[in-house]
Amino acid sequence: MNSQQDFFAALLDPERDCPADLKTWNGSDPAARFAVYRNNVLSSLIDALAASFPVVQQLVGEAFFRAMAAVYVRHSPPRTRILADYGTDFPTFIEGFAPAGSLPYLADVARLELLRIRAYHAADAAPLNPTVLAAALAVPERLGSLRLRLQPALGLLDSAFAVVSLWAAHQGALALAEVDPDQAQCALVLRNGLAVEVLGIRRGDLVFIQALLQGQPLGAATQPALASDPTFDLGACLAQLLRAGAITHCTYDKQRPLP
Amino acid sequence: MNTTASHAVVSAAALALALGAALAISSAPLTAQAADNEKCFGVAMQGKNDCAAGPGTTCAGTAKVDYQGNAWKLVPQGTCEQTASPTSPTGFGQLEAFKEVKQS
Repeated sequence: MNSQQDFFAALLDPERDCPADLKTWNGSDPAARFAVYRNNVLSSLIDALAASFPVVQQLVGEAFFRAMAAVYVRHSPPRTRILADYGTDFPTFIEGFAPAGSLPYLADVARLELLRIRAYHAADAAPLNPTVLAAALAVPERLGSLRLRLQPALGLLDSAFAVVSLWAAHQGALALAEVDPDQAQCALVLRNGLAVEVLGIRRGDLVFIQALLQGQPLGAATQPALASDPTFDLGACLAQLLRAGAITHCTYDKQRPLP
Repeated sequence: MNTTASHAVVSAAALALALGAALAISSAPLTAQAADNEKCFGVAMQGKNDCAAGPGTTCAGTAKVDYQGNAWKLVPQGTCEQTASPTSPTGFGQLEAFKEVKQS
């Protein structure tokens, strides 16, 4: 192990000794100076997670969150210099973190918060001009093969828990006491300008949007949505996507986008 | 009929209807909507309200029951009080939130 790896390993593991050969400018104890640095690295990474996962922190309390995050930071230090990308596997970690086992929905709340961060940093995409769709409407026999492309910020979460309500309750939109966490919910994350929005959608909407993301044309995407949810309302779902400016392109085949 | 069309369970007419409705709903600018529509209480189906009053139902699509008296839907101006609402004391939608009467 070279001295750099040694230094790094000692930063994350308080059981390790201060790396050898460290010198201080004023003759103070290198171990004491190193302990300060170690503490700053850990606490700044925990702060970054707390900023990224505010609702998870509110659900478990600050003390629990910081202890859990400290275990995670030591287990999965950042792999990139972009701190906004830190924590992509935090939800998976939470799922396996035994002390949080009594809150089975916690990992999915973290997944929703991760989708919000992803949406916030996603590329801009101008919404499709509705006149293009109006023109497509004039040729109804080709509608089934129309493909819609959606904004890069769009994210979907299919949860066995009431993730949307739990999240909304922490934005002051509903009372937490009224939320039944065991009610399965689907979430749609979109960005409108700089505002990231979380919408509760029905199962059919989720299946339909998933199919669109896979590049399925309108006809083929509608079938699994109706099969999974007979109450699926294509018009309402498309209206929601249009209103949110979530549809960015449409084309009859993958090669030639419509003007 | 070509193969794509014969495989399609969802008819072109149904797609056209849905897309047409979606364009109509979404193309109306919000200001025009506010001018041409009225908030109608007690006519929205469960989960289909545009927005709602009262704790637990502050967002669109959260009405817990059909014809919930404190949930409203935007409807074209003048049509609210002509829209049937089995929970409404008047039997029709109302421009203000109301207490539902028990459905028989």
